[in-house]
Amino acid sequence: MAASSAVPLLLRAAAASCHRLLSASRVAANRSPSRFFHASAPARLSSEDKVTVHFITRDGDKLTAQGKVGDSLLDVVVDNNLDIDGFGACEGTLACSTCHLIFEDHIFEKLDAITDEELDMLDLAYGLTETSRLGCQICLQKSMNNMVVRVPETVADVRQSIDIGKNP
Amino acid sequence: MPQTIKLASKVSLLARCFPEMWAEPALKSQPKVLQTRKTLAEMPGPSTLSFLTDLFCKKGLSRLHELQIESKAKYGPIWKASFGPILTVNVADPSLIEQVLRQEGKHPIRSDLSSWKDYRVSRGHSYGLLTAEGEEWQKIRSILGKHMLKPKEVESYTGTLNDVVSDLIGRLEHQRNLHEQRVVKDVAGEFYKFGLEGISSVLFESRIGCLEPKVPKETETFISSINTMFVMTLLTMAMPKILHRIFPKPWQKFCESWDYMFAFAKGHIDKRMAEISERISRGEKVEGKYLTYYLAQEKLSMKSIYGNVTELLLAGVDTISSTLSWSLYELSRHPQVQAALYKEITATVKDNSIPTAADVAKMPLLKAVMKETLRLYPVIPSNARVISDRDIQVGDYLIPKKTLISLCQYATSRDEKYFSNPNSFQPERWLHKEDSHHPYASIPFGFGKRSCVGRRIAELEVYLALARILMHFEVKPAQEGHAVKPMTRTLLVPETEISLQFLNR
Repeated sequence: MAASSAVPLLLRAAAASCHRLLSASRVAANRSPSRFFHASAPARLSSEDKVTVHFITRDGDKLTAQGKVGDSLLDVVVDNNLDIDGFGACEGTLACSTCHLIFEDHIFEKLDAITDEELDMLDLAYGLTETSRLGCQICLQKSMNNMVVRVPETVADVRQSIDIGKNP
Repeated sequence: MPQTIKLASKVSLLARCFPEMWAEPALKSQPKVLQTRKTLAEMPGPSTLSFLTDLFCKKGLSRLHELQIESKAKYGPIWKASFGPILTVNVADPSLIEQVLRQEGKHPIRSDLSSWKDYRVSRGHSYGLLTAEGEEWQKIRSILGKHMLKPKEVESYTGTLNDVVSDLIGRLEHQRNLHEQRVVKDVAGEFYKFGLEGISSVLFESRIGCLEPKVPKETETFISSINTMFVMTLLTMAMPKILHRIFPKPWQKFCESWDYMFAFAKGHIDKRMAEISERISRGEKVEGKYLTYYLAQEKLSMKSIYGNVTELLLAGVDTISSTLSWSLYELSRHPQVQAALYKEITATVKDNSIPTAADVAKMPLLKAVMKETLRLYPVIPSNARVISDRDIQVGDYLIPKKTLISLCQYATSRDEKYFSNPNSFQPERWLHKEDSHHPYASIPFGFGKRSCVGRRIAELEVYLALARILMHFEVKPAQEGHAVKPMTRTLLVPETEISLQFLNR
């Protein structure tokens, strides 16, 4: 698909900005945007702070990646350059539902309560299940180590297309 | 029922129950049951002549939203019509709208035949978020999206917006006291000023006096420029280019309105920028919590900042005004709903007299009222998409690339198939979703990466304003039984004045 090659680049840019905001939010409320970029916590992390996540893709493949506690699942996909087509089209701004993921029951039950903003977007997601959430809103916790999340099968999320013209 | 409707609803049902069944034939292009490939030539629709007669002789331009419903009844959920020189495919079924939006691609285009773009090119202005496309659009969207859409970021505008709401309450108090019956005439006019003051405070972190007893002249001119521009938008788009030479007035007025808006924005931006450089030259620390400052930090060119701020300013006025006007109009006609909402607000806010973002987040009925208002009166009565690089399948039809596809949301959000008693104001329907609920039947802000970037700020602004207005006043119709209908002026606005009585609580 034509779009897929550009995705990682775009998402990397998005991830970079997410991190800026994340680190900025740790600074006090009285912040100066120009200083966002230098205010992050020390980057050295022990392996204990890493959380491993297994993604089951639409094709049934298993992609395994690691992220830090506090990272969102969108960050994990972007930082590890995982090849999930169309994932996170709106860069975590809660304007689409392309980072829709399906969780295991025991993990889903312990997730933070869903906000109305996320619920509004999730309502528009494709192939909604009882244990669906948006990956950009779920942040890693140690207890999530080795969890399995499934990318829903989909006709065409916002980034995909059916190239009917060429494949009659 | 026409065959197309039946098929469309079956596809939708199938797709929602068994996504994988839908995915397979579509992705692997195995047209078994679902894919009939009709061409544009086979699509029903009015003849060019009859549509033009509707538009120009039967006040069709201001009734475009009603034409959606009439055409759907006549031709089914998908039809073609030539809007002046532009052939448009109209889609008026939620599952078909969903299909279009899911195929919108990496850099979605709303409409590439816009007179808005022509104006910018002719004046050498930069495109803003509304008019830019491709990589240029993506860059601006990424910057604005992170400051305007993330709930945590939006919350930080609460204080700024609440200051403006305080002035709105003062202004309403002042206006109603001019009238014996405590009536504020033409509330939309008051809310235009509130909208402009609100978006200005978000953009510039400074006040421009729209809500003072004596409103500055430039504010009035800016608001009337927006109105003129929107009226002329439809007219200039519907007129073939050749007619512009014979009747140059609409295009001239259109350009003059834009000129004023660009000059207004530039004046305010330059003023703020000068203040900042003066402070820097005095060695003072500069901090800002307003959008123009963020844009400058992101190293956008000044030209691009002018273009973007102009578009953000105008986008924050009619939208807020219409939504607030219609909300209060409906609440005044539904006293039980107003009473229930008042109870919800006072129970949540308690002794604290000024609701915060955290407070309104806990007001489900308030949110339902806004959803229901936007279902009945979507500010954008029809959205649009152009898929520029490939043909797409929508329902039974193959739509050639570059076709303007109009998403008729006014028709879907008043369709009784999806909303029982579709023309009546029933906010409670959003608290317990009906079985017939279809998530794409009412999407007033659009969906996806080209959806409304101001959505969350607008929502917060309306929540904070509505909550505080109802805490101060009981709102009643100025005249019992006087109904106001919507009309299209590019956006959907009240056709006549909405006047309301504001009584002390």
